[in-house]
Amino acid sequence: MSNPMEQFVIKPIIPIKVGDIDISFTNSALFMVLAVVVSTLLLGFCIRKRTIVPSVAQSIPETIYEFISSLIKENVGPEGLKYFPFIFTVFLFVAFGNLLGLLPYAFTFTSHLAAVGGLSVIALLFNIIIGIKKKKLGYLRTFMPRGIPAALAPLIIPIEMISFLSKPFSLTVRLVANMTVGHIMLKIIAGFVLALGIGGIIPIAFNGCIVVFEMFIALLQAFIYTVLSCIYLGDAIHSH
Amino acid sequence: MPQLDISTYTSQLFWLCVSFFTMLFIMSKFIIPKIGDILAQRQRKIDSYLNKAHTTKQQAEAALEKYHQALADATQKAEKTLQKTQAELDRLVTDKQNELREELHRQISKQEAEIAIGKAEALVKIREMSAELAADIVKKLALTNINAADIKNAIKKNEQ
Repeated sequence: MSNPMEQFVIKPIIPIKVGDIDISFTNSALFMVLAVVVSTLLLGFCIRKRTIVPSVAQSIPETIYEFISSLIKENVGPEGLKYFPFIFTVFLFVAFGNLLGLLPYAFTFTSHLAAVGGLSVIALLFNIIIGIKKKKLGYLRTFMPRGIPAALAPLIIPIEMISFLSKPFSLTVRLVANMTVGHIMLKIIAGFVLALGIGGIIPIAFNGCIVVFEMFIALLQAFIYTVLSCIYLGDAIHSH
Repeated sequence: MPQLDISTYTSQLFWLCVSFFTMLFIMSKFIIPKIGDILAQRQRKIDSYLNKAHTTKQQAEAALEKYHQALADATQKAEKTLQKTQAELDRLVTDKQNELREELHRQISKQEAEIAIGKAEALVKIREMSAELAADIVKKLALTNINAADIKNAIKKNEQ
């Protein structure tokens, strides 16, 4: 039986090195680029006709658009619609990363700490930039909410900082753990297929069910990732 | 665990930034405006339809109001005409009745006058005839001492 962790190994396709830094084009990079290309082509194809009464294909991007827009309105407020493209892109990037990873022989870049962590840090930096732009120095209030006695500052400020920094961490771990576990499970069950001979039809059927379930998980996790990004963005914009 | 292999982190982060920001650019420049445009257009269309429906409804309401007004006017007019005609008719009937009554009165008095004249004439004739009758009786009885003047006086006395 092959090692179930083998599917997560990152292999360089085109080795690139700038100075001492390795920025090789790997299978992970390939699927990131694929997520961009596929999502762009798919959405572009779906909305090519721009009819007033949407076709089935056209209603999909519209639904995503309205879904993200209502998400922002609920969690951030109407002023959050300025950041619509960012949230929209985060959702699509994660969703397509998850879904493309479910294809056979595909690589799931969302199962890697570095990739998802990087995305979470981008989202965090985005929040910080918006927060500072909006509230200037008042943004530091995030770490010292109003109405708390100054004497508690030594206690509150570290706690707030930890909670602030744990947001991207929890975002990352949740998504990575979900993706990794799902793919390990698929791989382990697939490993039984050959070992059981004709009885291997049972693990195949089971895997079929799990793939459907994993598709659901892929979208659900992209949704959760987006919702939490929205909530953190709302926190950055609104004072405590 | 390949996830913890730090040597791949730089490449992952680099390509993440490249692909994510490319996607952000493509989405915000091409895809999102298009979808937003479609939705805005649809909203405009729906709004214009709603507006049209609203104005049409208002027009219909105005027409209904007008119709009610016209109906009320017509009813009033008809009532007025009816009243006028009724009054005229009443007047005509009373006139005719009055005329008829006067005519009848006139005829009755005329007849009564004729009757009175006839009665008077008859009385005169009766008086004359009774006088003659009395004279004849007196003559037949041969009461010579009673002349015509005495008989007339006796009749007059009798009548009183």
